[in-house]
Amino acid sequence: MSRKAKGARPVYFENPENDKLLAMLMAVVGEVSVLRERLDTFERIAASKNLVLREEVERFEPDEKAAEQREQWRREYIDRVLRIVRQDLESQAAGETQGTYRQALELVNG
Amino acid sequence: MSQFQHSVLPKTGLDERAREGFVITLKHFLASEISPGNKVVYEKSVAPALETAGADITRHSIRKEMLRQPYYRMWSALQRTSQEMQWDAVTTCVERQLDDLVKASKNSTARGSLTLDPQLPLPKYHAAVDIHCQPGGYHTETRADDVAAGAMYDRAVYIYAMGRMGDCNEDMGASAVAYIHKQFPDFKPRRILDMGCAVGHSTIPYAQAFPEAEVHAIDVGAPMLRYAHARAQSLGATVHFSQQNAEATNFPDGHFDLIVSHILLHETSAKAIKNIMKEIDRLLSPGGVMCHAEVPQYEGMSAFDAFMLDWDTYNNNEPFWGPMHDMDLVKLAQGAGFAEKSVFQAVVPSAIETAAAKKGRTDVLQGGDFAGSGVWFVYGARKRLSA
Repeated sequence: MSRKAKGARPVYFENPENDKLLAMLMAVVGEVSVLRERLDTFERIAASKNLVLREEVERFEPDEKAAEQREQWRREYIDRVLRIVRQDLESQAAGETQGTYRQALELVNG
Repeated sequence: MSQFQHSVLPKTGLDERAREGFVITLKHFLASEISPGNKVVYEKSVAPALETAGADITRHSIRKEMLRQPYYRMWSALQRTSQEMQWDAVTTCVERQLDDLVKASKNSTARGSLTLDPQLPLPKYHAAVDIHCQPGGYHTETRADDVAAGAMYDRAVYIYAMGRMGDCNEDMGASAVAYIHKQFPDFKPRRILDMGCAVGHSTIPYAQAFPEAEVHAIDVGAPMLRYAHARAQSLGATVHFSQQNAEATNFPDGHFDLIVSHILLHETSAKAIKNIMKEIDRLLSPGGVMCHAEVPQYEGMSAFDAFMLDWDTYNNNEPFWGPMHDMDLVKLAQGAGFAEKSVFQAVVPSAIETAAAKKGRTDVLQGGDFAGSGVWFVYGARKRLSA
């Protein structure tokens, strides 16, 4: 089955390679999250039973509390990865530019 | 919060559930934490620049300027990527169990009916690009009795709406039913038609709300209809599915008392939408009602809000999304023969009142946040009682 939808993909950045790097990065980000949940599942089952069974792990469905904890973890995780995007706005709000940094360089070296 | 596991919903392994869960959280994070920054950038940089230049403030002039903003570009690229990750996750899951899904879909034949038409031409507006980036669109088949596109769509709608459309993705149908009950309290349709039904997730609320009525549902995609038929049976609903184009169906004149659609209109074309209205006029009995559920029109919205809602037009393979949301819908209905005073347009509340759905809403109308606002838009008209 095809993984590509018919229709040209928009180009978002000045350098189209950056579009691909972002997609690659997000795929890795997603897979780390998948890995983390698998580990979390092992830990929770091991803690409750002192025994880890593969089939049990595969069937595991978190209860409401565990699901909420996972959701919370994922939000924090995504927030960490996307920190740089939010930093842009914070930097703008603080009135920072490359120019203000040059001023700081001059200030301390002057 | 989880999707109801009816008999043909793809089963998920641990990693598949985690992959889908990740996409839901990512989409919600983008909608609630990253997307609001676009307004900050707009107000701080773009609006003053447009004002200084003396430019008209429209969603188009805003778009032109926002495309230069690194923050907007990054959000937009992430949004597109989240959509691709969603389809990748569901495609992988469906592909590995397709044999079982085909078998399960064939096992159910007791209720309703399924009529396919392999000769039906695929409309150009579906062949041009794969709508909302679903690989293969609604129609592609890779094997006999294929149901893959339906299985992918059912699961992806749940992820796309982040579970806020209910356990069976029933929100749009249920919300429109509530409006119809309120607006036409004594209305008892004998036959109902749902146009562009996809997997029938919006059709079933009508079968439940009007148990005496004969319910029909049409779509151009065969894999959608095979899946929809099996899905309806598993959910105990009797629906007659047939492969037809809403522009020209084979039903007799005046056959239906109620004709509905859900996010169908924006997936057609300028020409097709007029044909569909004329066909509805032909199919409705005197006093019959048409009701289409969509996302609100751009009219009356701020230019910035319209710009944000217009993201799908350029970034999610929804080429008719923007033009449709700009249309004069009264004129459209009139053009097909409906009386101006019978036309209704309303913003209605979501029928899903669960704590999980409420908690997940952002209460904003914006691209990439489907079902996040807690409201839908209904549009329709009532046919004259006598010719």
